[in-house]
Amino acid sequence: MELDYLMTVILSSLSSASILLIATIGLAVVYGLMGVINLAHGEFLMVGAYSALTATQIGIPYPLAIPFAIMVTMLIGAIVECLIIRKLYGRIFDTMLATWGLGMVFNQGAVLLFGTVSPGIGMPQYSLTIGQYSLAIYPLIMIAVAILMLAFVYFLMTKTVYGMKARASIQAPQMAQAIGIESSNVNTLTFAIGCGLAGFAGAILLPIIPATPSMGLFFAVKGFLTVVVAGPVALTGSAVTALGLGGGSSITASFLTSVVGDVFFFLMTALLLWLYPLGISSKWRRKL
Amino acid sequence: MFKIENATGGYGKTTIIRNISMEINQGEIVALLGRNGVGKSTLMKYITGLIPAAGGQVLIEGKPAPTAPAKRAKMGLGYVPQGRFVFPRMTVIENIAVAAAANGHDAKQAIDRSLEDFPILVQKANDLAGGLSGGQQQILALARALATQPQVLLLDEPTEGVQPSIIDEMSGILKRINKELGIAIVIAEQNLDFCLSIAERAYIMEKGSIRIEIDREKLRADKHLQQELLGV
Repeated sequence: MELDYLMTVILSSLSSASILLIATIGLAVVYGLMGVINLAHGEFLMVGAYSALTATQIGIPYPLAIPFAIMVTMLIGAIVECLIIRKLYGRIFDTMLATWGLGMVFNQGAVLLFGTVSPGIGMPQYSLTIGQYSLAIYPLIMIAVAILMLAFVYFLMTKTVYGMKARASIQAPQMAQAIGIESSNVNTLTFAIGCGLAGFAGAILLPIIPATPSMGLFFAVKGFLTVVVAGPVALTGSAVTALGLGGGSSITASFLTSVVGDVFFFLMTALLLWLYPLGISSKWRRKL
Repeated sequence: MFKIENATGGYGKTTIIRNISMEINQGEIVALLGRNGVGKSTLMKYITGLIPAAGGQVLIEGKPAPTAPAKRAKMGLGYVPQGRFVFPRMTVIENIAVAAAANGHDAKQAIDRSLEDFPILVQKANDLAGGLSGGQQQILALARALATQPQVLLLDEPTEGVQPSIIDEMSGILKRINKELGIAIVIAEQNLDFCLSIAERAYIMEKGSIRIEIDREKLRADKHLQQELLGV
């Protein structure tokens, strides 16, 4: 029976870590490939959630609502890049301030459009029974979703011409231009992809985390810290960090309380940043 | 075929190069000589478009070059910067592939060609470029520039920090690509011997301007000039 309990703790912790990772990948892509910290990332997630919710409300089945949410967020992301981010490259604090402000606008926009309370959509009511414990299936599926999402982004960034251009543009920006890479187009696409990943996260997590205008904040803080702790090898670094910090805080929370779980998260973050000021991956020899 | 007219520019409000004009003919190898700090690298960046022009222009085949560096690259301007600037977290073959693909060339062919031309890279093909030695990175930066299939190749201090055996190899490679592919080459250098071994003529810079244009034999004979302008 103790073993059963341990199993459920491990599975649900893995699932929380996966949810954190799903919510963070877009942020990691934008930071890792553009050097921009998008503090409106959480709000893009919220936009994705509301897009999916609205789509289901007008009768589009949920599986189709997800690509719809991705399209909406990618489009908004591309517009934001062209109008705001593009003018602020290399000015990391200015971009943070600008995206933070943008997040507020989105947040208030959502309040005006949808009000502060919105109906959730039902979670598929399947569950997994381990001994006397029972776990909802949907959050467990998120483990697979996180793995697929990582694999997709890794493939996109390492095996495609676009991915090579995007990595070249962040690693030696002037040189990338000098060999013929139109970095501004690449950056627009990268930012749009980052926002699209946030939109996907908002939509896929909708059954677990209902859409509210301020839902972005919850992810913004932890996602931001995950990406900063991860460092320059953004994707692998974020996966490891999300697993360690997210999983660790979830395990702590299940044995103690959720407050202690959060304390674990923030203390570990502080400790890791003290040990690795440039991120845990600063010395890794990896592509992404 | 390739001309620079009255190039004036620098960084921010500081002007470093003034009224520089030069002309490079099809398939020619030209050296750009001068002591440290005379503006050779700045001129190179001016030509690539990486620093904005405060005055003057670059003409490629008689047409004014577009402002964006990426568009100049597509018009046939290849660049190997001082300090190499390979993409460190990309593999050797990715460095080459991205250069070819960005200009609409077949990446696979470019890789095959590069590995054939530069056997030194074969063993390192799947290593991250950041882990290569200085000389290997220099060769890779050259291979990357060639993968864009340029008509004019700009090399900024290619021998800096590179061991003599690789310098010899490099001069052989440059002569060969110049002959076989008809690529014109401009080399900014402090290494006079290297330049005398491959360039037919030279522009010598002093304080941000061209002081003199001279052919190889005259430069080789004029020890006084070498001493005065190059300190060798």
